Amino acid sequence: MELQISPQLKKLVEDAREWGETEARPAGLEADRAGSPLPVDHPYFQKFIDRGRSRGERLAAAEPAPEGRVAQMVVLGEEDAYWDRGMGVASPGAGFPSGMVNAAGTPEQKERFLGPFAHHTTPHWASFALTEPGGGSDTAAFRTHARKTDKGYVLNGAKCFIGNAARADWVLVQTTLDPTKGRAAQRAFFVERSTPGFTGVKIEKKMGLRSYESVSFILEDCEVPADHLLGGERPEPKSGAAGSGAYGATMGALNATRVGVAASALGVARAAYDEARRFAKESGAIKSSRIRDKLELMLRKIRGARLMTLQAAWMADNRRSNILESSMAKIVTAEVAQETAALGMEIVGLEAGAGDNLVEKLFRDAKALNIVEGTGQIQRVIMGRNLVGLPR
Amino acid sequence: MEFGIRDDDQMIVDSLTAFAGEQLRPNLRAAEAARAPSPEVRASFAELGFEALDVPEAANGVGLGILTRVLANRTLGQADAGAALALDRLGPAVYVLDAFGGAEAVARFAGPILENPETRVALVVEDEDRGLSEGGRITGTVPWAPVDRADLVVGLGPASAWTMQGGAKAEPVKSIGLHAAGASRLTLDGVAAATWTDQAAAELALAKTRLYYASLLVGVLYDSTEFSRAYAMERVAFGQPVAHHQGMAFMIVDMFNAVEQVRLLVEDAARRIEAGQDGRQHAAAAFIEAVDASRYVGPNGVQILGGHGFMRDFPMEKAMREARALGLLAGGVERARDDAAALADTLGDAF
Repeated sequence: MELQISPQLKKLVEDAREWGETEARPAGLEADRAGSPLPVDHPYFQKFIDRGRSRGERLAAAEPAPEGRVAQMVVLGEEDAYWDRGMGVASPGAGFPSGMVNAAGTPEQKERFLGPFAHHTTPHWASFALTEPGGGSDTAAFRTHARKTDKGYVLNGAKCFIGNAARADWVLVQTTLDPTKGRAAQRAFFVERSTPGFTGVKIEKKMGLRSYESVSFILEDCEVPADHLLGGERPEPKSGAAGSGAYGATMGALNATRVGVAASALGVARAAYDEARRFAKESGAIKSSRIRDKLELMLRKIRGARLMTLQAAWMADNRRSNILESSMAKIVTAEVAQETAALGMEIVGLEAGAGDNLVEKLFRDAKALNIVEGTGQIQRVIMGRNLVGLPR
Repeated sequence: MEFGIRDDDQMIVDSLTAFAGEQLRPNLRAAEAARAPSPEVRASFAELGFEALDVPEAANGVGLGILTRVLANRTLGQADAGAALALDRLGPAVYVLDAFGGAEAVARFAGPILENPETRVALVVEDEDRGLSEGGRITGTVPWAPVDRADLVVGLGPASAWTMQGGAKAEPVKSIGLHAAGASRLTLDGVAAATWTDQAAAELALAKTRLYYASLLVGVLYDSTEFSRAYAMERVAFGQPVAHHQGMAFMIVDMFNAVEQVRLLVEDAARRIEAGQDGRQHAAAAFIEAVDASRYVGPNGVQILGGHGFMRDFPMEKAMREARALGLLAGGVERARDDAAALADTLGDAF
């Protein structure tokens, strides 16, 4: 076991810290106080583009670090989320769906839908739509329907809690050709925002993570060309096959990002710890052994959760199966973030209750991390399947 | 970044896994009843050459570090933590001798113990320094120590240490667990053979001692988790394995997560100390987490087996008792909480 991070990665962390402190946290607080995401023409986003702040650009511009790709993502993800988790999601770029497009898209789709993001000089977004009003974690049970026609496909259905969908150039929408055929019938389509039938767009009001859009929308006889089907037309896999096609790409993307969410939770937890410690020192509360015990508990839980997350990342980088470890990291870090923020509220006390202290925002933000990309309960189901053969 | 195990450590773990599976686990209850591993088991362990695992090479030991020790203890503790204590006759006292007096002190005090296989060392962790000089009188009582005899007693205070050869009377007590290690009330009445004062040495020795017991706890907790998991997959209730009832499956998952978190914290703290970094806070925190996790995992190992868990036919009741017992050692968890909290603010950046 050797956990020192390389000087190259440290430099990237320092760079993330500088951006986070001067730009991301103030922007996140501004959005939180306003109760809604920053508008697309907010100077933050243009500065983000001008400074090459996407993670891909940052890694490309830096001296290569010896750590694996996933470990780098975890370390940087923690630092980014430390300053503001929501602003990370709100970042311009192809974001989450880019992994799926790279994994399952045709060369033409990669060029058409991802290509422009490499050249944009103004902020643009893309989005991925999975969750539906009647189904969150059960990715195989979605109802948004795609019907084949002479011209392409017609989509009908509703999606909810979709990040950045109101400002995206295109949304990669998960659908089914036949709800009775389960995962084998799942298909994902590129739907450009200007497409007729993409309607009912509503930006949700949220408890926390207010700095990025969570959007509900309806697809009403929304026609898309056949070449907008992710991966193009291909023979339908056998019923139940989960390793390929839209369902496989979706699950692959979720598996890869599970440790990313864990890293975000670590950042939120660490921010809550630091803020509580700062307050305890300044107020003199740290003289109380009960307060010191709480801080110790927070620190210990963060450390254990970080070790779990880094282990899951290291396993992924070393091509070891980490299904168990990535779910474990997601469960533990999300709960640690929630608990750390709650304990931080206790330490800061009425100042936190008043609503202006950072730890109050973190308390509201943290809850989402135990819900997004597989709730803590779903992660336990995944672990249960692996540990004791829990039936599907 | 590397989470793998070193090749040399893997060889040691493999040897100890085989030994534990063949010699300790099958004799679990026999060693408990006899309050000691059998002579055959002890001889077999001695043949492996790991008796002086932590003894510096300059004192004719194997000279391996604390990271190797925690891996070894986890392996042995998973089979029988009491026997593991009995087989390592120096125990964590060697860290005190080494931290304060170096190889010379280890050779002087541990050497005779290693030469006589019937002898044992007792480590006494005290909350206050005695202010002793060499030849000073040592008196007192230790209500429970997991030894059957104490030919050498090593005392560790917050900033000092002492040794006493002879002068300790070991009176058997029933004890909550770890019976295979022996269990005695120690009455101390003798003179200090050596005394030292050095706060940094005391803190390092205590950090290693905490990891020593925390790693045995990791082994016991893994046993609780793995044994009860296997049982839950075989035992059928309401037409399916009990593990397939979600309430049970989630409990097993949470036990697994708790133990894995402790293992990582223990190994991380050991790695830091072995690399010469300041691992005092990390070691105290790892010990606390091990003890806290033991209060969840130990009883749930019994719970999963239901009535069978409560009976001595299965090892889960033993694991629950032993996990509770281990958490009382190394000066106890409340002192670890004090230290971890006091040291937390010295760490700076959480990275």
